[in-house]
This record gives sequence, C-alpha cells and structure tokens, in this order.
Amino acid sequence: MTQAEFILRIVQGWGILGTMVAIPFLTFGVDQVDEDARGAYVFRPLLVPGVLLIWPLVLWRWYVLGNGRDEWSARYRPRRRTHYAFAILMPVCIVGFIGTGLMVRQTWPADRAPVQLSQPGEPAQ
Amino acid sequence: MSVKYIPVQWNRNKWLYDGVMLAGVVAFLYLFLYVSPELLSHEFPINPQIHNARAFGACAFVMLTVILCIGPLARIDRRFLPLLYNRRHFGVMTTFVAISHAGYILNWYFTFSFSNKYEALLFANTSYGQLAGFPFEILGIFALICLLILAATSHDFWMKFLTPPVWKRMHALVYFAYVAVVGHVSLGILQDQQNHAFTVIFMGGAIAVAGLHAWAAYCDWRYGDRAGAQNANWVTVCDHTDIRDGFAKITILQNGDRVAVFKMGGKLSAISNACAHQNGPLGEGKIIDCLVTCPWHGFQYDVTNGRSPAPFTEMVPTYNIRLHGTFVQVDSDANPPGTYVEPVAIQKAAT
Repeated sequence: MTQAEFILRIVQGWGILGTMVAIPFLTFGVDQVDEDARGAYVFRPLLVPGVLLIWPLVLWRWYVLGNGRDEWSARYRPRRRTHYAFAILMPVCIVGFIGTGLMVRQTWPADRAPVQLSQPGEPAQ
Repeated sequence: MSVKYIPVQWNRNKWLYDGVMLAGVVAFLYLFLYVSPELLSHEFPINPQIHNARAFGACAFVMLTVILCIGPLARIDRRFLPLLYNRRHFGVMTTFVAISHAGYILNWYFTFSFSNKYEALLFANTSYGQLAGFPFEILGIFALICLLILAATSHDFWMKFLTPPVWKRMHALVYFAYVAVVGHVSLGILQDQQNHAFTVIFMGGAIAVAGLHAWAAYCDWRYGDRAGAQNANWVTVCDHTDIRDGFAKITILQNGDRVAVFKMGGKLSAISNACAHQNGPLGEGKIIDCLVTCPWHGFQYDVTNGRSPAPFTEMVPTYNIRLHGTFVQVDSDANPPGTYVEPVAIQKAAT
C-alpha cells in the first residue's frame, strides 16, 4: 500500500465512523440536546456533512449536554484576545509566503537557467 | 433566530445580500473568462478545464479576501456592519466556488493517471523539502478542508450545540485557510505568472487582509474596551453621565466576562456583552423599545432580563447593578441567563 492509499483509507474510515455517529445523532440525539430541534426534521440533512467532518466533537458535546455538564456561563465568554495573535501571525505568514514565492520564481527578477528540481515521484504513478 | 430550526432562514435583506453576492460571482467569472482572459495568462491557448480552474480559483481567492476584510472593516468603521450581517452565506458560496476549482483541477491534471485521481493528487509531487517546486497542492487541500468544515458547520444549530466560543474558535480556521491559500498561490500559479495584473490583484488583496487585521487589532487595543480586568465583587464601570441614553458602556471582569451597562429612560441595566448567537458585542447596539439589537446579526434582548422577545428563546446572563455616588457598579457574579434585575433609577439612587 502506498502512502497515498493509506491516507485515503484513513479518510474513508473517518467518513464511515462519521456516518455511524450521524445516523443516531440526527435520528434522536439532536432532540435530546436541543429543544429547538424537536419536531424540526427538514434541516437535519444539512447537518450530515458537519457530523461527518467533526464527529469526535459531536460525540463530546452530545455527552456533555446529555449529562447536564454544560457550564452555561462559558457560552458568554468570547475569546477575542486570541484575535490579537491572529492579527500578528497572519500578516507575518502572508508576507512570508508572498516573499518566498517571489524569491523562488525562476523568471524574476531575471531569467535563470532551468534546473530539474526533483526526481520523478513514486513508482506507483 | 430560534423557535424551530429550518434549513435556511431567509428574509428580504438576506435575499438582497445573496443576490448581490451571486451577481458579483457571475460578473467576476464572466470578466475573467471572456472579457479579460489575459489577466489569467490566457493569451496562450489552453483548454476549457484549465481556463475554468483558474477562473474559479481566482474567484475563490477574491471572495475569501473580501470575507476576511469585512470583519476588521466593521471593527474600524461601523458603516461596514451590514456586510457582516450575512457573511456566512458568503462563506458557503466561497466553499462551492473553491470546490469547483478543485474539481476542474482534479478532472484534468490527475484524471489520466493510472491510479485513482485522489491518490495521484497526493503522490504526484512529494518534494516537501524544497521551496521551488514545493507541492503547493497540499496547501490548497488543507484550505479546502478548512472551508468545508466552516461551511458544513454554518447552520445556527452548530452555534448553539457547540457554544459560541467553541464555534468561533473552530471558525478561526478561516485564518489558517487564508494563509494556506496565499501559500498555495505564491508557490503555485505565481511561479508561472507572466501577466502581472493577477499578481498585483493577488498581492494587493493579501496585503489588504494582513494590514486591515493588524490595524483593527491596533484600534481595538488603543481605543477599544480594554478597560482592564477588575476583580472586586462590585466593579466600577464608569460615571453614569458617561453613558448616553439608549446606549451602553462595556467593561471586562477578572474572569473574562464582558458586561454591557445600558441607560434607558434614566434607568440602568446590565447584561452580558456577548450575544447568545455568535457572542456579538451587544453593548455596541442601541436600545429601541426596551430591546437592544446586536449589531452583528440583529438578535434582540430585553436589557432588564436578558431574554429575546417571544417567540424567540435566546437568553443572556444579567448582572446586579448599583450606583455608588455617581459611579455605576456591577456585581461580578453573573445571574443565570434570563434572570430579571430591577433597573436602577439614576435620580433615586444618586440622592
């Protein structure tokens, strides 16, 4: 099995487990955790992709809400301070990527002789 | 808002917002595909698959750039707040445009491999140790996964289920996605770009996002509600004369809670500054008929009990409040969401 096949198997496994979570959660789980979902069925198919993608988080929240362990005050504490970190790191990374991209261009600032960058890929191609 | 969930909550403003957005996407694609193909280096003959892939890729980049500019612009200037109102639909549309880009790429560059096209995408270039010729596709895959998570969890149900702070943290993936997209473009199409109109658009957009976020953070730090955490049980907010009637002052408590103190008809009330929907800043809203409206998405709350008007069921915590001379003080222990607190009359209490 190649590494690419292995990665795709993990993705498939993730999706299968997500499906196993989505079926019971969307059938009766949402009714347990959210009163606004009771009697509302048309919107549930829209939740399927989300459950498939973040099913571990869904299981955790289902467990917390189902056991009444949710801390209500935590819902009202926005973490705006983390935006300061993003506001600093994101510009640095953006400028870094653009600068790197311009520096490694083979036709800027002046044309360079072409070079072979790497050997051919895996034999599986 | 709540009551019973439906697939998509539409209203006239959202129809208008989405109509303008859709028209913008169509106009962008038409412009890039048929009016100015040289912007995408299409002066050389290329097949429709590559043509479409580049146009949808450029469109997704521009849409993501606009989305990321809306947040800081709304922080800097409140006139941009209407753009924030329906940003989730904008994000979902961006994800579909990005999927189209990925689809065109997969179904042209990788579909003729002897292997499965998805496997081919992963093993076609594995030169992760070098910058020139770096497998930029992986950055695009990462960004697309982030966008898929954001779009798939955009329904209001997810916000209530995960709680707004967790949801907002998860949706901070958009910053990582944008940086990955910038890397994807810088190490990808930028390496081969001969016509620099697109280079200028790309760099201008990316630097605008970077600059606006840095500027908004500076404004928030310099002029925002960084009044400092206070730790006593009764926390002084301000002099009551500093609060305009119908508006609020915001303070941050030691535990990180943000409290909005409102003045309404000569009486004071205090509720959480975090909207139950997306933790929007309620204290930046205005009171009309006893109800404060969240400036982000229009959710409303009675400032005396923190409840949305019936039939809606959203609630925010309230705070006990008192006047010490002319200074407004709030109890740092929040009341459970929806608890009624008698407003404090300024004339009566101050005498």
